[in-house]
Parts: sequence; structure tokens; C-alpha cells
Amino acid sequence: MSYLNQQFDALLKYWPDEDKNIRTLRTNSFDQFNTIGFPTRRWEEWQFTDFSKFIKKQFRLSWADDLPNIPKSIPGLIPDLNFILIINGHYQSQLSALPDGVRVSTHLEDFNTDENIYTYGSSQNPFQVLNTAMMNSGVPIHIESNQIIEKPIQIIYLMTNLSEPLMNHPRFHYHIGENSQATIVEHYIGLSDQPYFVNSVSHATIGNNASFNHVRIQEETESASHIASTHYQLETDAQLNATHFSWGGELFRHDIQITFNGNGGDATLNGLCLTENHQHHDQHVTVDHQHDGCNSHQLFKYILGDKSSGVFNGKVIVRENTKQTDADQSNKNLLLSPDALMNANPQLEIYSEDVKCAHGSTTGQIDSEALFYMRSRGLTQRKATELIISGFAEEITKSITNENISDYINEKINQWLRSSNNDD
Amino acid sequence: MLEIKNLHAGVDGKEILKGINLIIKPGELHAIMGRNGSGKSTLANIITGRDNYEVMKGSVTYNGKDLLDMLPEDRALSGIFMSFQYPVVIPGVNNTYFLRAALNAKLKHQGLKEMNAVDFMHLIREKLNRVQMDEKYLTRAVNDGFSGGEKKRNEILQMLTLEPTFSILDETDSGLDIDALKIVANGVNNFRNKERSFLAITHYQRLLEYMEPDFIHVLIDGEIVKSGDKTLAAELEKKGYSWLEK
Repeated sequence: MSYLNQQFDALLKYWPDEDKNIRTLRTNSFDQFNTIGFPTRRWEEWQFTDFSKFIKKQFRLSWADDLPNIPKSIPGLIPDLNFILIINGHYQSQLSALPDGVRVSTHLEDFNTDENIYTYGSSQNPFQVLNTAMMNSGVPIHIESNQIIEKPIQIIYLMTNLSEPLMNHPRFHYHIGENSQATIVEHYIGLSDQPYFVNSVSHATIGNNASFNHVRIQEETESASHIASTHYQLETDAQLNATHFSWGGELFRHDIQITFNGNGGDATLNGLCLTENHQHHDQHVTVDHQHDGCNSHQLFKYILGDKSSGVFNGKVIVRENTKQTDADQSNKNLLLSPDALMNANPQLEIYSEDVKCAHGSTTGQIDSEALFYMRSRGLTQRKATELIISGFAEEITKSITNENISDYINEKINQWLRSSNNDD
Repeated sequence: MLEIKNLHAGVDGKEILKGINLIIKPGELHAIMGRNGSGKSTLANIITGRDNYEVMKGSVTYNGKDLLDMLPEDRALSGIFMSFQYPVVIPGVNNTYFLRAALNAKLKHQGLKEMNAVDFMHLIREKLNRVQMDEKYLTRAVNDGFSGGEKKRNEILQMLTLEPTFSILDETDSGLDIDALKIVANGVNNFRNKERSFLAITHYQRLLEYMEPDFIHVLIDGEIVKSGDKTLAAELEKKGYSWLEK
């Protein structure tokens, strides 16, 4: 861990005039991180993910010098959206375009408004406290109240071709004002064959009667370690529709938490992971029902090829004395190779009687009956396999309502299918 | 022309078909009747090339080509089709998209131009009419949420679209009420011509009342024990199968 101490000192020196309170937050968080340490397989919530290789790696924080020439065409840019561009951790405000009713602020301003966001839910998660200590990029985004933002906002968090292993600790806060509607695409994309480390934290507060669409795309290269935490907090009658895609990274761990802070909230969280080679994708979801009349729906699908592995750990908690909770959670996995591995653990913790809950998990291979059926109509085994897999993914992709975004996702899935199908 | 010679075949080393000989000429409709477990479905699976079935002896050729050597998709492209007894649900795969992909695979194989979505919709609407199927089934996933009868109509729709020269109708009457049976049989009858041949596999005579066979074969314990013309069906209906057993 010594390289982290060194990097932390360098960060403090790099921003000598930083606000005193933020400085204290960083120092406290870094102390906390040093106390907790990196996870080991003896930690129950982390037991299926091996960090031993990751811990041996060393990364340097990205500085202003690491901002390359801006590429002429920005990879991952989805047509006809508003966008925020961050390259190697550096916000390119002059290249970003935002509509009225949307404002980007600073972490100092956010901290002065509500410092609790910075320590929210972090006590058990070393990566989250490390992010708080080292946060060096990302921005708070404010959707003012009573705004309908028609065009989605795409955040492109691009890591270009690097000459040495870099790390970044992005932090995004989404403040969705009362009665507002907005779509934010949080898109991590990498180009580097060098190892790199992205350790992100995102926190969304969705105001009363507001509606937030969140599409998260993790499209790092296979040299990357991408660790993330995402929190959603829903106020009274707030709606969340979140869809998470991941097909990048050698090591991916994502902790997702949904909390209802008022009655009548409605949250849908869907996810699709595509893994191949030796990739490992681990997602932990906690949905906490502590108010009345809230609904939550989760569907997570994994498609695993080669020697890749996946973990899905989903927990739905329904607190005592809550009424009229409707919660379901489903996890379905498709293994494309005999060497692929899936660990699924859906859990319900119900302390109330007035609930409707369902959960389940299935893991299987390509349906040989379906394969034969399609081949008997003249489709090659390869084409039939592709259709079955994309049909499996469709249940997730169809929840994207913006056509440009769904076109982007579908094209990426098809590319993935064609390249992974080529291996055999 | 489909030619089956002394076919011995089975699963897991167990012989189910014990020397089948059958010739089906262009334009003919043959019916194979028999009880459950007599080997009817095994015969269909051998012809279409399903995995896990092994041929121990004998041959199956289609227009002189050795079928047993071909992949299922290549058999399909050569004009073989099967209406499945249990059509398979393929979640997330749009029915229209699937049908067009199958038709285009065939057109491509024949060196013809593939069909665009607009032309295909034109074609498929006309075929839908013939099996009196609601257009809403085109937008659903393949067989997903279809009733038993709708699944069978969808099979016949695929047959009418792909225009195979040899079609197996595997228990196509099962799960159909009388109205649906008439529609399905009509679809097949209108599709019959001098070039196209059929093998209808069925338990009961019922289907054959609406779809007149040229020949009927009775399969018992993996062997064809009796062949005859359409009058054999009525006789079987009256007497059952036991008088034919050894």
C-alpha cells in the first residue's frame, strides 16, 4: 500500500490551497482506508473476488500533464445527446454542452451544501473511502426543480492510450430536483493496453416526484480494474429507471445501493454483463425499503464466455412496520463455455408482513432445443447462437427508451457477439 | 425424392428403428401412424439431423444426396422442413426477424437476392392470411406466449414462407381444435403440388380426414408392419393397432 501513501501525499501537495474542510475529509478517509485495508477473501461480502493480483499493481494519479491532445473523434460519443467530456480525469468544460436547467458545480460547493453525501454508506467499503480520500475528478450535476430535460446527458469518462499505469477516483453527484425528469448516461470508456484503475463513486438524490433515468456503461479495456459504488436515494414518489451495462475491465466490482427516503418510490434496476477471456465481474446490490408503498424491480443478466467469471449478490431489505412493499429481484445467467463460472446469491431480508416479494436466480447454457429449431430453419449454428444470445440480452436492452442510446448498446453487443463467437 | 433404406437408428446405443424402408416421391403425402414409442419421432429427428441420434445401419438420401452426412442447416437449405410437435420458444428473438433471417439464408443459398424488411412484410402478410393468423404474432418473440394452436399455425406459416420441397408434419394435429385443424390442413393442402412431398406423423386418423394421404404406413416397434392407401386409416381407427402386432 506504500504507493498509495506516496500518491496521497503527492495529491495534497498538488492542491496546496484546497479547502480546509475537504482536506480534513480526505485525511480522515485515507486514515480510514489504511485501517480497513484492501478486501481479502475472508470478508464475506468480497469472498468471490480475488484482489491479490490487483493489490500488487501500482498506479499513479493522473495530473494535468496527463491530458493528451484531444482526439478528433471522441470514442463512445452517442449522437444527438448533451454531453460532458472528461479525459484522463480532466473535465473538458469547453468541449461539453449542457442545456438550460442543468448546472455543473464543484465538489466544494456540494460539500458545503451537504457534506454527508461524501461519507454516505462508506464505512464497510475500502474503495469508497479511498475514493473520498483521493477524489480527483468527476463533477456534481444539478437538475433544477420542475425541469424536463428531454435530451439525455452523456458523461464520457475517457481513458486514452496511456504510457504508464494511471488511476483516477471520479466522483459524480446527481441532484435531480423536485418534479424534474432527466436521463444521464455515465459512460466509462478506455483505450489503453496499460493497466489502469478507475475507482468511481456516484451518488444520485432524486427529489420528490422526480424521475431519473440512469444508464451506466462500463466499457474499459481488459487491462483495467474498475471498482465502483453507486447510490440512489429516492425521495417521496420519486422514480428511478437504472440500466447498467458492463463488458470491460479485467476486474470489475460494483456496489449498488437503492434507498427509499420517502413513501411511494419506484425503482427499476436492470443490468447486463458480458464477459470473456479471464474477466471477472462482481456486482452487489442492496435495496432498502424503509418507507411505505415503494416498489423495486431488479433484473440482472450475465453472459459469460471463456474462463470468465461473474458474481451477483442481491439483497432486498424490507424494514419493520413498512407497508405495501412490492419488491422483486431476478438474476439470469448464460454460460457460453464450460470453464465460465457464476456465483449468484439473491437474498431477501423481510421484517414486515405487508409485502409482495419474489426472487430467483437461474444459470444455464444455450438451449440446445432452440439451437436445433433455428438450424432446422436453415440458420447456421453461429447465427442461431448469436440470435439466442442477443435475444437473452434483449430483456435488458429494451428498457432503454432513447433510440440513439439503445442503438449504441445493441451495436456494441453485436460486436461483442461477433468477436467472442470468432474464438471458437 | 426421399429414399430411406434399411435404416437402423436409436439413442444411447438403444436401437429404436429396426430396418425402415421408405420411398417418398415428389408430390406424394405419406402418413406414418403408430402408438407412442413406436419410433415415429425418431424417424423425424434422423431426417432433420437432431443431435444425439445415431444411425447404426442404412441410409437416407434426398435427391441422391446423403442426408445423414449433412448439418441440420444444410438439410434445411436443401429443402427439408419439419413442423415441430413442440415448437420451441426463443425469448427475445422477434418472430418476423427470425423468419426473414431464415428466408434470406435460403435465398442466399440459392444465389438469389436477399429480401429487405419492406418486401418481406408484404410477403408475410399474404402468408399470414392463409393460416388466419393475427398480425400481432409477428411482433412477438418466436412462439413466446403463443397458445398450442398458434404455435402450430406459426409452424405452417414458416413452411409456407420457406417453401420446402419435403416437409415433415410431426403431430401437427395435436393440441388443435377442429377449426384450427381445418385451417392448418387447408394451409397444407393449398401448398401441395407436384414437386412438394410430405411426411405426416400422427397418432390419429383425424388429421388425415382433412389432409388426404397417398400412402399410410403403420409403425410398430421400429418397423413398418403394414402399408396401404388412405382406407387403412379408417381400418386402424376401427380395429386399433393390436391386430398388427406380432
